[in-house]
Amino acid sequence: MVENRPLLTLLAHLALIAGVAVVAFPVYLAFVASTHPSSAFLSGTLPLVPGDHMGETYSRMLFSGVSTSGAPPLWLMMTNSLIMALSIAIGKIAISILSAFAIVYFRFPCRALAFWMIFVTLMLPVEVRIVPTFEVVANLGMLDTYAGLSIPLIASATATFLFRQFFLTVPDELVEAARIDGAGPMRFFRDMLLPLSRTNMAALFVILFIYGWNQYLWPLLVTTDESQYTIVMGIKRLANVADADPQWNNVMATVILAMVPPVLVVIGMQKLFVKGLVEQEK
Amino acid sequence: MARIDLDSVRKIYPGGVEAVKGVDLPIEDGGFVVLVGPSGCGKSTLLRMIAGLETISDGEIRIGGRRVNDAEPADRDIAMVFQNYALYPHMSVRQNLSYGLRNRRMARDEIARRVEETARILEIDAFLDRRPKALSGGQRQRVAMGRAIVREPAAFLFDEPLSNLDAKLRVQMRGEIKQLQRRLGTTSVYVTHDQLEAMTLADTLVVLNGGRIEQAGRPLDLYRHPDTTFVASFLGSPAMNLLSARVSGGDLRVGSLPLAARLPVPDGPVTAGLRPEAFRLLPDSTSGAFRLDYVEELGSTRLLHGHLEGQRLVCQMGIEHPLADRMTLDLDPEALHVFDAERGRRLDTAWQRAQIRSLA
Ligand SMILES: Nc1ncnc2c1ncn2[C@@H]1O[C@H](COP(=O)(O)OP(=O)(O)OP(=O)(O)O)[C@@H](O)[C@H]1O
Ligand SMILES: [Mg+2]
Repeated sequence: MVENRPLLTLLAHLALIAGVAVVAFPVYLAFVASTHPSSAFLSGTLPLVPGDHMGETYSRMLFSGVSTSGAPPLWLMMTNSLIMALSIAIGKIAISILSAFAIVYFRFPCRALAFWMIFVTLMLPVEVRIVPTFEVVANLGMLDTYAGLSIPLIASATATFLFRQFFLTVPDELVEAARIDGAGPMRFFRDMLLPLSRTNMAALFVILFIYGWNQYLWPLLVTTDESQYTIVMGIKRLANVADADPQWNNVMATVILAMVPPVLVVIGMQKLFVKGLVEQEK
Repeated sequence: MARIDLDSVRKIYPGGVEAVKGVDLPIEDGGFVVLVGPSGCGKSTLLRMIAGLETISDGEIRIGGRRVNDAEPADRDIAMVFQNYALYPHMSVRQNLSYGLRNRRMARDEIARRVEETARILEIDAFLDRRPKALSGGQRQRVAMGRAIVREPAAFLFDEPLSNLDAKLRVQMRGEIKQLQRRLGTTSVYVTHDQLEAMTLADTLVVLNGGRIEQAGRPLDLYRHPDTTFVASFLGSPAMNLLSARVSGGDLRVGSLPLAARLPVPDGPVTAGLRPEAFRLLPDSTSGAFRLDYVEELGSTRLLHGHLEGQRLVCQMGIEHPLADRMTLDLDPEALHVFDAERGRRLDTAWQRAQIRSLA
């Protein structure tokens, strides 16, 4: 729809600006707070322009951490988070695209059962099964490892379901043409399904990366070693110091830094992401 | 290039639908066979069994003398053109053409040579690097043809490849397919429900009905000597008039109107078939048995719709003939087809054949 009415355009822009302001203002405040000394935040009146402690706070947080609140340097926690989020996102996509492939294109005994079992796990998010899962991970000796952080979060009914729905829209004739052209199942998967699901994968990657990055409860349970802490846990630890006021400038710097990777992922994948959400290549 | 033989081929779908009920069909090397019939008669099923996309419940299919019942589609040396083209959407035209060859590990320069050659034949060189999305329907159709040709298979299989095109393009592509097949000499099996397409393309026309071959033969033979009322009414447009009639002592009457005499046909009820263009109507306002209802002008000819003894009758004649409300039939008895009233089988085959021979 292409409209050309200036008043409408103006109105639309005003609404959008208001929306952006509502979302962006707290983020801006957080940024401002991170550039002032910690005392500024506690004085009651929050300054609205950035202060001059930015370099100092950020480099301290990034490279040395705050040992008093048990927070390792941010670069370490961010690396941990990155590894966890990437493993979860990539692992989820790989596993669910393969299971969707099996469910849609192969006839094997109990196929419907397999599908419904996967589907039922939708009702069992991590929080519900957290105790038994912890037990399993502990018994396997995966506490305080990247594997323990990410593997239990990888299985994904939602992504399997999405890929299944997408595969069902691939016309039968395409499958048959590929068969006549001599493509076996795995080659069909590699040459047809993978490229055709490109946009879907990108959209899923963005969603799952953010999902993985934001994990809080599970890392809290399985990590005891500071070197395995993730950034979201770090925020909590910094804000939650006993017998002292929280160092808000440090907390806010951590928050701002924690936002950067998801934002980068969204920006980097934006084009594909939107494509994957709105259109399907026919 | 190879011949294809179907021996009492049957298809029973899971669930018990018997879609193909015993089909015997020898297809000569280089022949162009068109399978035609109404929707649901099993045309696609039969074609897909030749392609290897459906299992064969019973019987045997041989391609080039080799039994292929259990061979994968890729190992049957066939290429198929689908109704919706089934082009690979994420590949350029060039990649679409070469995909099957690459999977067969053909040498690169050979692939390039064949793709160029095919593109030249089909005049698709200009958009070799475009995606299918950026092509018109007719161009996609050509690419789909190209994907079949480039493989240089033993046989082409077409499943209603033109039905997504507009009428004009369909006629044009029809001609091109025919010429191309002649030139390449590749055995072809072509499925359509369009009788005109079937008549014009086929060397051998196979009319299917309910999973069985109703009649097979050269298109004109089927048109001139349909074995059954089904074939008679399926081929030709407008369709053949089929009138209930009665034979007694060799005389055929529709109602009280005598149409032919001395037919070598036993007494009883019959169906009389008359092609709309095989007779003329003459104005006769007093005793004309044909009552004209309305006229459709087609340009050089016109269709006269009316009733004869209470039964609908259509006549096609030139516009120079005068019209009247009541008209009489001017009919050559040889133009009359006589079918069994119950089962619709031709009754006068021998007689008609003798007539033809004496004319020749
Ligand atoms: N997968 C299937 N399972 C069960 N029955 C089927 C299946 N595919 C086709 N049939 C049945 O087999 C019969 C023949 O189908 P087919 O597709 O061969 O018809 P067709 O002659 O190609 O018709 P059309 O002109 O409409 O394409 C039909 O009665 C159809 O319902
Ligand atoms: Mg069909």
